[in-house]
Amino acid sequence: MEKRILVLAIVVAAAIVLAGVATALYLGSGSDEGSVSYVTMAPNLMDGWLASNQSDAYIAWEPYVSSSVVAGTGRVIMWTNEIMPNHPCCVVAVSEDFLDSPDGADLTARFLKAHIEANRWMADALADPEGANYSLLLDMAADFTLRSQAVVEEGLGHVEFGYEMSDDFLSALTQFTDMYIESNIITNDTLSGLGYADASEFIDDYVDESFLVTADSVEPSPTIMNPADEDAMRLGYLSGDLHQLAQFVAQNDTVGGGEKDLFETYGLNVDPLSPYANGGAVMDAFNLGDIDIGYLGAPPAIQKHANLGTPVRIVAQANSEGSGIVVHVDSDIHTLEDLVGRTVATPGETSIQHLLLRMALEREGIPFVKA
Amino acid sequence: MMPGSSVLLARVKDAVVANWVKLALGIVSVSIFIASWAIVSLYLSESGSSLSPFVPGPRLVAEAFLSSFVDSVPGLTGIRMGDMIASSMIRIFWGFLLAMLVALPMGLAMGSFKTLESMGKPLVEVFRPIPPLAWVPVFLMVFKSFWGPIGIVFLGVFFPILLNVIFGVKSVDQRLVDAARTLGAKRSAVFTKVVMPAIVPYMMTGIKVGLGVGWMCIVAAEMMPIQSGTGVGYYVWLSADYSRYDFMYATMLVIGLLSILTTGVAELIEKRVSRWMGIR
Repeated sequence: MEKRILVLAIVVAAAIVLAGVATALYLGSGSDEGSVSYVTMAPNLMDGWLASNQSDAYIAWEPYVSSSVVAGTGRVIMWTNEIMPNHPCCVVAVSEDFLDSPDGADLTARFLKAHIEANRWMADALADPEGANYSLLLDMAADFTLRSQAVVEEGLGHVEFGYEMSDDFLSALTQFTDMYIESNIITNDTLSGLGYADASEFIDDYVDESFLVTADSVEPSPTIMNPADEDAMRLGYLSGDLHQLAQFVAQNDTVGGGEKDLFETYGLNVDPLSPYANGGAVMDAFNLGDIDIGYLGAPPAIQKHANLGTPVRIVAQANSEGSGIVVHVDSDIHTLEDLVGRTVATPGETSIQHLLLRMALEREGIPFVKA
Repeated sequence: MMPGSSVLLARVKDAVVANWVKLALGIVSVSIFIASWAIVSLYLSESGSSLSPFVPGPRLVAEAFLSSFVDSVPGLTGIRMGDMIASSMIRIFWGFLLAMLVALPMGLAMGSFKTLESMGKPLVEVFRPIPPLAWVPVFLMVFKSFWGPIGIVFLGVFFPILLNVIFGVKSVDQRLVDAARTLGAKRSAVFTKVVMPAIVPYMMTGIKVGLGVGWMCIVAAEMMPIQSGTGVGYYVWLSADYSRYDFMYATMLVIGLLSILTTGVAELIEKRVSRWMGIR
């Protein structure tokens, strides 16, 4: 009997040694020579991971980047406009069901008019840092993102607000779609099943500029077109995302002239639901019929529309640029090349930040792998 | 052909002949399931339902299953299903092993000594009903992304083994112990020759239950907000995030098969150990 227990002990010990070797091999395999590895996490965790040296860098949107910088934990080594100048980021999308409803097209144009006016108001406010509107804008940005004035002021300097959809906008969206096809997230079969020959045809059909055109001629309305609660336009957006400040500005009475906010000025009853965690969740809300219009990042809008057929149209841009790669303030990392052999936290493989970092590293010939 | 394999083949043949009714019924039920799945999927896609992407047909899932082992999976260049499996298996193994190493001696001690049981019981009763997944947020931060999920698996496996071992020790027939003592066996001999063999079946029950819970834990723990490394749970989450439901179902199939495999191995070990220890 004792002999048997001895044998058993030896077998167990051998198994442990074997597992140890396997684990060492497995853990060692993560640090591939010459590549950058990534972990994914919600952006609110990234600063903590950077501060405790659990990751060497992160890429996220404003106000997270400026939050780290102002707090003194982080230093920006690269802004995303250095990867792709003027790159699209957040867009405004409308549910097709809503567009098909009797007043859908008209209400959408009115919404976009308020979006345009909010953008113009923000541009004017930002142009005059001494003005009263500038401090009002900072107040609103701080309220919306739950950050200090110092953080949002820094952050606003790195975001380009704008509603227009240029040819560059379309070609950038096509490029994102092609990157999805390249990594097999969207397949050519899926696109051809939907009746598109390539990514560019898909994007051309997905983006609808006509509402921006009609929005231009929308006049202020003395009455609300959809006064009933059940007719209110249900708005989805991301929690505290500085890129999506326009819809928050459009809800401010002072911006609207004192009495009414911009949505009301153009005859709209808008119901902003509780914020969503990421763009995928906004698309899911469209799919469930929970919202009529929403602000979200372009990549999740592309991916879910192609793969799930989520019935929406992209009708305007919300912002461009406005994300950055942050390292620890004492770090020896100064360039993309310095990231080799290190770990970067990203908001997830479907995010625009992840796609842009991948694009930048591919250009340098550096593989970007899962840690 | 090696002589060993022909023996194995003969054994399989015997097993098929002996159990053909069971086998046929099994095949019938699986076929009915796959056929109805195909019909539902076809109906949804033909009727243009918005639910259609969520129910890819069996053929698509089978293709995704095969391609996930051969090509890299969507969205993760250079990573195949084998890497996911290895990563999850390593975590399951460590969680399971650590749980065994702690639960077995603890169970033996708590089952044998009333004082220890009275001391340990309140703690066990407080912590046992807490789902291991409740620990995920703090475990991932404290133990990081490799050992964090292992800790979750540890908790999932630990309690079934502990409770079963305690129960096993208590169920040892006192008359056998007395008889052995009367015949002059020392305390250590009573332990190795009477108590240990008697608790093996209980321990194995704990292990089998624990492994099932362990798989549930690893899948959920790998889905949590900080995703590092790979793993089957992570890929279920990621493929759904990408709306590649064909690959999501393929990964779920992999999890089912792996769970069957590990439980099967546990049963095999149970049989061997039982025979070896002289029971049955």
